Amino acid sequence: MDKYLILEDGTILKGKGYGYTGETHGEIVFTTSMSGYIETITDPSFAGQVLIFAFPEIANYPLTYEKMESERIQISGLVTKDAHEIFYGGKSGKDFNDFLINSSVPAIDGIDTRLLVEKIREKGVLKCFISNSPEMPDIFEDTMEENLVSKVSRKNYQYYKSDKKKEILFIDVGAKNSLITNLGELASVHIVPHDYDFFNIKFHYDAIFLPNGPGNPDHSALKPIVEFVREASQEKPVMGVCLGNQLITLAFNGKTKKMKFGHRGVNHAVTDGEKIYITSHNHGYAVDKDSLKNTDLIAPLWDINDGTVEMVSHKKLEVYSVQFHPEAHPGPYDGSWFFEKIKSTLRDINE
Amino acid sequence: MNKSIKCTLVIGSGPIVIGQAAEFDYSGSQACLALREEGIKVVLLNSNPATIQTDKEIADKIYIEPVEPETVIQIIKKENIDSILPSMGGQVALNLVILLDKLGILSEYGIKILGTPVKSIEIAEDRKKFFELMKKIDEPIINSYNLLKDDYRQIIENIKRYPLILRTGFSLGGSGGTIIKDRDSLLNYCDDYFSINDDTLELDESLLGLKEIEYEMMRDNNGNCISICNMENLDPMGIHTGESIVVTPSLTLSNDDYQKLRSSAIHIVSEIGVVGSCNIQFALDQKRNEYYVIEVNPRTSRSSALASKASGYPIARISTKIAIGYNLNEIKNPITNNTYAAFEPSMDYITVKIPRWPFDKFSVKRDIGIEMKSIGEAMGIGRTFEEALLKCVSSLDIAYSKSLRLSVSREKALELVETPNDRGLYAVFELLFHGMDAEEISLKSGYDSFFIYKMNNIVEKLKGIKHDEYPENMLELKQLGISDETISYYSRIEEIDIIKKRMENNIFPVYKNIDTCSAEFESNTPYMYSSYDTKNDLSIVNKKKIIVIGSGPNRISQGVEFDYGSVKAVSSIKSLGCISIMVNSNPETVSTDFDIADILYFEPITLEHIANIVHREKPEGLIIQFSGQTGQNMAAGLEKLFGNIIIGTNPENIYRIEERTKFSSELDKLGIKQPEFIEIDNIIDIDRKIKTINLPVIIRSSFIIGGRAMDIIYDYNILMERVRELFMERPGFPILVSEYIKNATEMDVDFVSDSKRSIIAGISVHIEEAGTHSGDATMILGPKMVTEEFVKKIEIIVEKLRESFHLSGLSNLQIAVKNGEIFIIELNARSSRSIPFVAKATGINWVELAVKSMLGEEINAEFRVPKSYFIKVPVFPFKRFHDMDVILGPEMKSTGEAMCCGLTFDEAMSKVIRIMKRKFVLESAVITVNDADKAEAANIAKKLAKNNIKIYATPGTSKFLSDNNIKNTTVYRIKDMRSPGLSDLIKNNNISLIINTPSESYGSFRDGYTLREIAIRRDIPVITNIKFASALVNSLASGMQSEYREIDEYV
Repeated sequence: MDKYLILEDGTILKGKGYGYTGETHGEIVFTTSMSGYIETITDPSFAGQVLIFAFPEIANYPLTYEKMESERIQISGLVTKDAHEIFYGGKSGKDFNDFLINSSVPAIDGIDTRLLVEKIREKGVLKCFISNSPEMPDIFEDTMEENLVSKVSRKNYQYYKSDKKKEILFIDVGAKNSLITNLGELASVHIVPHDYDFFNIKFHYDAIFLPNGPGNPDHSALKPIVEFVREASQEKPVMGVCLGNQLITLAFNGKTKKMKFGHRGVNHAVTDGEKIYITSHNHGYAVDKDSLKNTDLIAPLWDINDGTVEMVSHKKLEVYSVQFHPEAHPGPYDGSWFFEKIKSTLRDINE
Repeated sequence: MNKSIKCTLVIGSGPIVIGQAAEFDYSGSQACLALREEGIKVVLLNSNPATIQTDKEIADKIYIEPVEPETVIQIIKKENIDSILPSMGGQVALNLVILLDKLGILSEYGIKILGTPVKSIEIAEDRKKFFELMKKIDEPIINSYNLLKDDYRQIIENIKRYPLILRTGFSLGGSGGTIIKDRDSLLNYCDDYFSINDDTLELDESLLGLKEIEYEMMRDNNGNCISICNMENLDPMGIHTGESIVVTPSLTLSNDDYQKLRSSAIHIVSEIGVVGSCNIQFALDQKRNEYYVIEVNPRTSRSSALASKASGYPIARISTKIAIGYNLNEIKNPITNNTYAAFEPSMDYITVKIPRWPFDKFSVKRDIGIEMKSIGEAMGIGRTFEEALLKCVSSLDIAYSKSLRLSVSREKALELVETPNDRGLYAVFELLFHGMDAEEISLKSGYDSFFIYKMNNIVEKLKGIKHDEYPENMLELKQLGISDETISYYSRIEEIDIIKKRMENNIFPVYKNIDTCSAEFESNTPYMYSSYDTKNDLSIVNKKKIIVIGSGPNRISQGVEFDYGSVKAVSSIKSLGCISIMVNSNPETVSTDFDIADILYFEPITLEHIANIVHREKPEGLIIQFSGQTGQNMAAGLEKLFGNIIIGTNPENIYRIEERTKFSSELDKLGIKQPEFIEIDNIIDIDRKIKTINLPVIIRSSFIIGGRAMDIIYDYNILMERVRELFMERPGFPILVSEYIKNATEMDVDFVSDSKRSIIAGISVHIEEAGTHSGDATMILGPKMVTEEFVKKIEIIVEKLRESFHLSGLSNLQIAVKNGEIFIIELNARSSRSIPFVAKATGINWVELAVKSMLGEEINAEFRVPKSYFIKVPVFPFKRFHDMDVILGPEMKSTGEAMCCGLTFDEAMSKVIRIMKRKFVLESAVITVNDADKAEAANIAKKLAKNNIKIYATPGTSKFLSDNNIKNTTVYRIKDMRSPGLSDLIKNNNISLIINTPSESYGSFRDGYTLREIAIRRDIPVITNIKFASALVNSLASGMQSEYREIDEYV
């Protein structure tokens, strides 16, 4: 079945449709990661976005549900160069096409994905439709203005008990499973929805963790979290990743900004000027470096190529967070020291 | 950067051999340039004249001398060397530096080793130390055993898991590896081995069948370590990676597999203490979720060259910068110019590399395994696996490049899939044509089923191609990477008509950039590949452009010499103010480095792809003279498509030269002599025709005659038999039988022609008499090799040829000279294998002169007799092919060459033996020669005896020597079955040299064959030509002490 990718700049590309037969729209972004297709499409940070894999061969190795980063495919749509031929499911017997259908995600294949990457690099992120007809829609809605976190956050409190003594309050703004798995090795984890009654918490916790998630960190729906962090951080350590990094910045009066087209891939180096770490990235917003000048936050790590703030740390309080993904999945484990750091933070808390 | 580094010695890898080829010219050249940029004086040592790195543009001082400790010591003293970069010259350079360290030379002269320290190199290279470290740091390895003469039986008792692989440490391309299936075979092997050896035997448990994955790593002085790319071998463990089909990046690894191995690689490389680049190999067991560390190469390697070309990340260059003190966060990525070297390349395309084996030239067993047999490789790049695979197959320029399938029975194909050999890939295609299930083929072949499904996509489309019909779904076929040549094969429409029709229908590929970052960052470096996708990355430059076609994968007779020509041609074009465009498909080469030409197309050298590029670029012209025979074969097609586009000798004249009968009658007209020849094109004529030619004769055929090594025939009956056999094996092809001029001297004459005259670049005189392939001959350039009068004669002939064939640019003429008479053997209207040798010996850039003359300028140079002596010494792959005879004949066998220079002939000759065997000491010699050579053998023996060299000779030769009062010991031939026998002598005594010339009648050379085989295995130089033996012994007997000099001191 023919399908069409329609961009707000007037570009219309024809391809072979697969996955869900319906249509979709969203902000179109690309990832340059060459492996980890299952982890990528199930990452809640992609909510509201149509994803392009710059790497052409996708669904090239067997689909395994254990590798999912959340309970469903989170992207709104998928654009690939060469995925449609391999539907056999390989040795796992699970079919990629069915997987997309079950999550109602339309996909389009046979597309010159490099052309799209070049376009986005030059023009910045674009809004798009994956459509069954080549007609130009009148309006391209901005999905980034939606309350995306509410769509991907858990609806109910969950408790992950571990054999460790310390306990973490984990505010689910769209977390990847790998983060929970990593923290679960350090402490018991209280996972609460994004709209939890933070000022009325009945259980004990030693530290607060803000994970990754989709959309604009400055969204009004996230304001209560920001306020809670600002207040709670006076007494308890706060750590974060990705969207969490941005929310912490906002809590200490820094600012965030939308990037031209963001970082999505597993090959960017972050550095402190001497040491480098190759890390996994997935963010369209970033901490505004200049805005940190009059705050108590510093930026000890940055992206080597474009200087993007990759870590913030509070000068006095035990508050720190990273923009990249130390939990990997997909991507390298160079940032795993972050969890070691959390481990020592937890250890230092007096019982 | 470390400011104390002022003068660095870079060590090259010497002659091209199997397992160590053009990739080190690439890495060495890149390293030299990276050092010079920093103001460091670079001294280069390499004995291989066919390289770009031995060119003045690359290093400050160049030593074309044997790569040996003595040479290095002399260079250190002369040039005030403060540091050595050992990681760019393959195993040769690495071993040499380890040796220099052991000899205490590095510390004596205070030499700093740049890059990975010697201690770390030793850990990586010494399997015992390496395995110990892996155990210590908890990285999984397989069990290995060291067997010693005294206790091997006990250890074998305790070995439980088979098969095992025999290894030797410090090996090149896995030489010496054998698979042992069970205890009995191991005991047999060991009994044999320890009866003649005292060295340790190293054995590993085999990981046959697991996935073989490589990572190319880069680590800096701060301990930052990144992975440049990974590579997946299609062939499972058990096939040397140099013999495997390799895809980049890995396609069947999950994120967890990929990252697990990457983390392990970083862990290991950091623990070893690598500084710079390094390659690490793993065996991956996906079923059990386990992996094993196989080995680490602490230097740039063949895989680094492949990884550089595949990813666009210039590994040798960055590694060199790190070696002089820079760190990854301080080095810019030169392909984008706006990102840092601290970045892991992301690819939005697939590359496939396939080795090219010499089985089209050598009649040896075609099985492949843990030892390398391939001579070169090609890489295909595409936006899908299918496209990359098929572009690579096209680039190989072999019989199956067109058909893809073997057209054999299912049983035969299955057999070829199950036992690894060079045709495995095509056997998989064949099985898919037979309709076999992909999963089943995967099980039999060990290829992941992903690849088989992908190959089946191709087969499905090929099945749909109808005879005599231009395919309706042409675009679909092209998107799968199916070549016009293959479409021609399946549709039976001429390739050129397919190309024309395709172009008429406006079906063209677009060209995408290789940029290390999947277009995330801007890159304006035009390193391109084609794909039938939607958008071109870069727009066309509207300037005067010239395309140079490279020579594709290295193969016997077409190697690095042509890359030298291509690179020099590119720089000449640049210096003339034109845009240079390079096209090549060989990842090992300098010419495919993205900063050599203004524009690089990494594409198959086929009519289709060249035509597409010409169509897009609309160049002023196209140079095919540096493409070897590949370009010559394409010339006519290109002219048909684009008219007058070839620069240099035009296609019509190329045809007149290549077509034997036309060429011959033209020579007759010009009054130039040639050996008589007959062309036999049908079997009925044989009797009558054969009698018309005088014996001996050479049968020329590009086709191999099963198991036979000799092609010079002295007997009518044998000739008849051979011609009949040829007809049987290859019906319908004419056979050329030409008179063999006995005892003639052969010469290679390289010359350049402009529109008015020709200038001789060099007259290289062969030591061996005519009949040995010019690529296998030992050649001399030097004073007094030919008389002035003789040069005049050649000049007249060359001038006649230039006029008659409108020669332009480079040509190579092979002649046989007997009693002052000149016979033409062959003329090639292109650059030759000897051109780099001639250029280095004369100090003149002949390629530049040729490019200028092709573009209409007049040449401003004259023939010059070289001041010193230069000997071009071929090297042979006999150790790799145990079933190949070392006798030289009309079929080329050598893989590469060295150049030996001397102020006198004896001095140059004294270095030749160092190329043949390092640490050569002459103590004893075996002489066994045919009757014709006995007189000369006596002269040689006299000189040896005078120097107190012990001489052994077989009965006939022994008698002759004794009759001439030369003291010698008689030994019996192997077939005599008497003692003292030759084979025992060789096994039990320290024999330095064997002089063995084959008998003329070809029936009786088996004995010599066995003798030569034993000698090769024991690394004893075997001289099979009496003239060469004479020259060598003269030099050895003179007691000459070699001095090593910079090339300019000779020129």
